[in-house]
Amino acid sequence: MQASPSPGGMGVRWERGIEGVRSGGILSGVNDRRFLGTLALVSLLLPVLVAAQARMETPPAVQHQPTVLLDGGILPAPVTITPAGPLFGLAALVNNLGGTLDADENGESFTLTIEGKDVVIAIGSAIITVGDNIVSLSQPPIRGEGTLLVPVDFLQKTYGDLAGFLFDWRPGVQQLVISRRAAREIPVLLDVVHLQGMTTVVLQFPEAPRYQILRQPGQVDVQMMGDRLAPPPTPPAVADPLVQSVSIAPDQVRIQLSPEAQASSYVLENPFRIVFDVHLPSQTPVPVAPGPAPSEQAPGVRTIVLDPGHGGSETGAIGPSGIQEKELTLTIARELEARLESQLGVRVVLTRNEDANLPLDARTAIANQNKADLFISLHLNSSLGAGAHGAETYFLSAEASDAAAARMAETENTAQPAVPEGTTGLETQDLELILWDLAQTHHLLESQRFAAMIQGDLNQTLQLRDRGVKQAPFRVLNGAAMPAVLVELGFISNPDEEKQLQDGAYRAELVASLTRAVSSYKALVENRPEPPQASQPGPPGQPGAAPPAQPAPQLKPAPGTRPATPGSSGTRPPQPRSSGRR
Amino acid sequence: MNRRMAAFILGLALALLAGGALWWWLQGLGAGGTESQPPAGAGKAAPVPFDLWIPDGIGLRVERRELQVTSAPKDRIRRIAEALLAPRPDGVRLFPDGVALAGVQLSKEGTAYLNLVWDGHDDPPASGSTEELQRVYSLVNSIVTNVPEARRVALLWNGLQRPTFAGHLDTSRPLAPLDALRTR
Repeated sequence: MQASPSPGGMGVRWERGIEGVRSGGILSGVNDRRFLGTLALVSLLLPVLVAAQARMETPPAVQHQPTVLLDGGILPAPVTITPAGPLFGLAALVNNLGGTLDADENGESFTLTIEGKDVVIAIGSAIITVGDNIVSLSQPPIRGEGTLLVPVDFLQKTYGDLAGFLFDWRPGVQQLVISRRAAREIPVLLDVVHLQGMTTVVLQFPEAPRYQILRQPGQVDVQMMGDRLAPPPTPPAVADPLVQSVSIAPDQVRIQLSPEAQASSYVLENPFRIVFDVHLPSQTPVPVAPGPAPSEQAPGVRTIVLDPGHGGSETGAIGPSGIQEKELTLTIARELEARLESQLGVRVVLTRNEDANLPLDARTAIANQNKADLFISLHLNSSLGAGAHGAETYFLSAEASDAAAARMAETENTAQPAVPEGTTGLETQDLELILWDLAQTHHLLESQRFAAMIQGDLNQTLQLRDRGVKQAPFRVLNGAAMPAVLVELGFISNPDEEKQLQDGAYRAELVASLTRAVSSYKALVENRPEPPQASQPGPPGQPGAAPPAQPAPQLKPAPGTRPATPGSSGTRPPQPRSSGRR
Repeated sequence: MNRRMAAFILGLALALLAGGALWWWLQGLGAGGTESQPPAGAGKAAPVPFDLWIPDGIGLRVERRELQVTSAPKDRIRRIAEALLAPRPDGVRLFPDGVALAGVQLSKEGTAYLNLVWDGHDDPPASGSTEELQRVYSLVNSIVTNVPEARRVALLWNGLQRPTFAGHLDTSRPLAPLDALRTR
């Protein structure tokens, strides 16, 4: 066929070939039949070969005799070699390394429980959850060999991290060698803070140890499970009304409580900390009303940190005309800075004074480092719904502040301990971090009150129906160690408000309103009568209007606060605690 | 063997080839299409009414909608999220066009993990706080309200948990529902 030159297409060439066959030009007689027979056979076998090839390529090819060694002996776990690396039968490993493996009702996902922590595995997904953490794998677990097959990094991130096993895959000899990690020696920092009737004991570790907490009357032990603590060179000296002593041994930390005292605990991460709140039974749930702190300075508002929202590549909301939230928040912050300084004589710090990215946690850090008395994050809003307008003021939801703590509550029988080192007030920088996540928890009540003052004045200024102050788990408020609010001064997504917000006179009214609220709060905190507001511009159409009535201090809900809905953890009442760093 | 016979054999071979290719393709489709199939053992899909939290004004309103779901919690979570991400009749979208649900997981502790992806975008869409609250809590509230096995929802963006989606909300941990956003 190939021999016959073909000026046309394939069909033409094929026709000539057949003609050639018939004429005996190329093949003839028996050869002709053999050729066609072979052709037919090949054609029939071709699909089968193609299918077989495809089948061989699709699932990971099972290869032979890779082995798993545990403590020198062979562990009968199936191993499958794939182009992305080896996969190991999990069931056999669970039988030998400990833990339990359960399939869900659909057989679609599995829960592996190791040392009390759950690992959720979905077939075909390279993401697993270990406790509440998301962990990525090099390749997804799959079904095969009659079991669930997992990659070696799965084993390292589960059995390795949770139970102290080491996994060493040796491709040359196709062996997975499993060994038990030697006990780690983990240093510990201890901090004991007593404030307003409650003591907070914090044990901080550079890495999470494996531990369990044992309670007895008058005593709490943090007992190591496999790891060892590095005791501090000098025993911690604790002088505290509720904690008699804290002793650190290589295998445990013992907190000796005063008679009657009780301790509750929870865990914080980054860095890993076990926190104990020690209190007398009658004091436990009673929120402490804000009163004069036992500090060197009289209470007052001397430093205010203003946080212009967003910045840099984070534009924030964008209005219909293209104006960006980050530009207007900076403009308003500068205008408010000038007004607060000139009118109230306070020191004002801006978290950013240029168009630059600034992480949310860094904003709070600036406020804390400046020992600010108030933190105000300025924003402009946008909504998916039509017709949204007006101003809104938020303070942190209690759930968010607890959650820093909570992380879903510590499981006391689980995993990992710590050691202290001790005495009160050490390693300043580390200790500054220790209670960071809890910072705003201690100020929720004041934040709520300050938010209500701001919203009340803005309602009058903007002639708004009172929507009350709101709570949300806003990250920028979480670490603030002072009353902190986030104010949305208008909806930039609303064309009318976008236009107004670009008008200097309108912004001046907003700035005046915020200044009045700060002034009122300052007067309240400093326990003196409110200053006259005559010099302040009143709301549009109401020159010289009096500032709104101030809500009385109370826990929940404050006047105008959105009511909490049962079951909504986002609106739980604030529960101030009596430890703090300020 | 004459020309007719040769043509017959060739035709047969081509038909077998086409049949083999079709079988192969169907096999592949079955394997890749598991995401949209109900999980094995979860029963047949049936219409079930759900209360979905839909952006409205400055909050969320509850709207009852019927979705085809199986009894599997993960399937319900997936269908709810997909319904919320789909464009609404009024043209309003919870997320911009192109944002899709890449995966769902449900932990034993009751945390639902939703992995949202947006091709060509590293970051979630910029927005004001109300818009961010509406986006995040439309998903959180709808899932926790309708799927008893889910008590909290963690949102991932391109497979990763982020400190925040749009510069306000703390999305670094699983979120409980926020009922206060309900407008009516």
